Amino acid sequence: MTSSTHTRGRLYGKNVLEGTFRAAPDDDLFLGELLVAIDEATGRRYLFRVVDVTYGHEHREPGWAERVAGTLLGDDVRDTPGAHPLYEQERRTYRVADCRCLGYLTPDGQVFRKPKSLPTQFSRVVSPEAADLAFLERSMGDMHVGVLRTGETTVNVPVGISGDALAKHIGVFATTGMGKSNLMMVLAAAAMQANGRYGLLIIDPHGEYRTELARHPWAERRLRTYSSVKAPGTSALRVSLGEMTSDDLRTATGDTSRAQTEALFELERFYASQYPGISWLLPFSQLDDLVGFRDVDLGRSVALSTLQVLHRRARRICNLDAISADGDVSVASAIERDLREGKVVLIDASGLDSTEELLVASFLTRRVLEAWQQAFLDDRDAHAGMPTVAVVLEEAQRVLSKAADADVNVFPRVAREGRKFKVGLVAVTQQPKLVDPELLSQFNTFFILGLADERDRNILKGSAKQDLSSLNTEIQTLMPGECLLAGVDTPFAVPATIHLWRDALRAAVPPPEPRPVAAANVAAMLD
Amino acid sequence: MPLGAAPLDDVADRLAAILAGPSGVVADGDDGDLIIDGDLTPRLLTPAATPASEVWAIDGGQALVRDARCLQVYVVRAGRCCFVDRVATVEDEGELRAHLVGTGQRGIELARVDGGLHLPANTAVDINLLRERVEWDGIERTLGEASPGALVLVDGDLRPDPRLPLAWVTELLADATDRGITVVGVTKHTSLSRGGAPLIGQLEREADVSLGARSRWWAPIGHSDARSQVPFTVVAARLDPDAAYSFRLDIAIGVDPEVAIAQVACVSDDAAFPGYPYPLTVADRLAACPPWLREEAWMTLEEQLRMAGIPGDVLHRAFDDRHRSMERAS
Repeated sequence: MTSSTHTRGRLYGKNVLEGTFRAAPDDDLFLGELLVAIDEATGRRYLFRVVDVTYGHEHREPGWAERVAGTLLGDDVRDTPGAHPLYEQERRTYRVADCRCLGYLTPDGQVFRKPKSLPTQFSRVVSPEAADLAFLERSMGDMHVGVLRTGETTVNVPVGISGDALAKHIGVFATTGMGKSNLMMVLAAAAMQANGRYGLLIIDPHGEYRTELARHPWAERRLRTYSSVKAPGTSALRVSLGEMTSDDLRTATGDTSRAQTEALFELERFYASQYPGISWLLPFSQLDDLVGFRDVDLGRSVALSTLQVLHRRARRICNLDAISADGDVSVASAIERDLREGKVVLIDASGLDSTEELLVASFLTRRVLEAWQQAFLDDRDAHAGMPTVAVVLEEAQRVLSKAADADVNVFPRVAREGRKFKVGLVAVTQQPKLVDPELLSQFNTFFILGLADERDRNILKGSAKQDLSSLNTEIQTLMPGECLLAGVDTPFAVPATIHLWRDALRAAVPPPEPRPVAAANVAAMLD
Repeated sequence: MPLGAAPLDDVADRLAAILAGPSGVVADGDDGDLIIDGDLTPRLLTPAATPASEVWAIDGGQALVRDARCLQVYVVRAGRCCFVDRVATVEDEGELRAHLVGTGQRGIELARVDGGLHLPANTAVDINLLRERVEWDGIERTLGEASPGALVLVDGDLRPDPRLPLAWVTELLADATDRGITVVGVTKHTSLSRGGAPLIGQLEREADVSLGARSRWWAPIGHSDARSQVPFTVVAARLDPDAAYSFRLDIAIGVDPEVAIAQVACVSDDAAFPGYPYPLTVADRLAACPPWLREEAWMTLEEQLRMAGIPGDVLHRAFDDRHRSMERAS
């Protein structure tokens, strides 16, 4: 940060919520830069965010700037650059910064309040001092993921969320390459370092987190990895068909045709009484005479082609190493136990296709939700002592779209009811516009890492818990690793730079050594 | 007596005849005693290799604060600036001087502007005199402050209002020349004509043909009649290849016109106004009396008049802009 004694500009216009100030023509103002207007009359320090920067000049004649540019361009074309200097450019030209007023610090610097009054006109605008931003630390929770960013500069103010915010659902919105995987790993590290206060169930469809998260010094104590493929340091992911419900199957196959959906009903009706859960998939997958089964057992109520599709899918599910007909080999209980202990549970689903990944995710999410719900109903005090958990789901629009929002789908249920039971969602998506707006409004915290599509940005504007209306350009121009954090706990959409994973790893303090168990004082007992 | 017809067609025909060709007598409608003895031939102008050590500029500004027709309140001032190596070292808006002009005010105002000039008691006082007086006062102060080798630019010609003592101005310019100070007046829009058509525009066209469209040039036009006027030389000049216009330049006598113009060209390269001396644009800005200044002056006056017991309605009846009010009414 530059010294506050250096004046960056003078405030001259706009209203309570917006400000416009004039700056020197060479002041390198950045979108998203945080600046302070010092109101000498009241002692308040108003915090502003730059939302646009334009050129200004003293001259009143229309076309003055174009004419100057034309003269200079003409010099360039004639290869005589400098033939026409612009005298006193620093006086005649300037920059105009349009700002959003974020609020003000009371004269004692202790309280940050929303803007409700105008700073004195022509107040001096300076770069913020550390004390101007100290209030932010109080709302940045105990899971730090980055540092405050002002324009392109970072400030040593930690940015993060409260672990309790996990239950109020978090949206992570970014196009490819903007750093969402990095953010998820940093968030997972923060959860590990919370030492049992929070649990995360991360469904990783690409297997990209396994190796990296395992390198974290807290991983040995606080990370459990279940993998659908054999990998060192991981437990085999095995879930039982009998544990899973037809709702999980429907959620996973949510994008199926109406004919397939009806065929599934028929199959369930036929098998339901004999098989728990969806373990009927096994006998169905083993059928040789699909035509005869359809004609005789299903009474030709299902088209053969539809049945063949479902049969192929059932065979694939049943052949997966991660799926077992044997309920005894399921790791669901172990996963639930890990989460109860406040661990980060990583499900490496890289060996599964999208449907299978969702099947496992739906089952585990349902299991966690029901367990936490039951605990809430059984013993409120015991429930209060349980860690807050969140399910991290990539490409979340698959299960959170309007079309997917059905009674059978556990994810909308978590979004609507999970908060009470301390179960939340961390929905990661590149396309928030595909998420049901009603569900999106349940998400109290947004990490926005850069969205190119205007429709995506607009849907977030409508659902965010902080005003994003003036931040369109800033969101468009976010660089990888830069984000806006907007939540009910943040005083405004906080610009941040997410820690690079390698830096977070380097800076992570290992967990304290367990206290040695004192030897029993047998002599004392004898005495 | 019935009026004769005056159709636009007739004006167009006469204008066409005047503007058609560069021929006829050269004259200055505003300065009848200008002696036209220059050859009027544009010749190449080379800017001085180095600009003058100091470049001063002076311009006058005025505003009519209120007008009761029989009485007017004016403010005038002279803005001055000085540039050294293209950096402004002096920016002086000048003292804002207020004047009450009209019936019964001449004696008082004359005394206020005399300043040792011994103006005749019957000198008419109007805004032109007030402005010229403050401008030449600014020039006098500037010449007192300027160092030898300085260039002093004046907005407009070097012909003072005839009510100002010729000897005073002549002496000012002569002293300046003696001290090695070059005084040049720059007139943006001159009444110089040839055959009734604007002369400068004709010279621009001729120079385009003879010297090229992007040439700097100057052309001798004439000089003032020293018997009845401040002595100065008059030239036309295009001061930059990108200049949109050429100007009339009045150069105090005793200075080589070509050298003086070359110095002016040195500070006429601003990217925003190529061909016009940049310091003069600054002086113009400093001297300007914008509407807010006019209103501020009136509010101050109004306050003092109220304190003196003048009822508001008396002020309104005296100074309301009736034309504007009636325009609004229509």
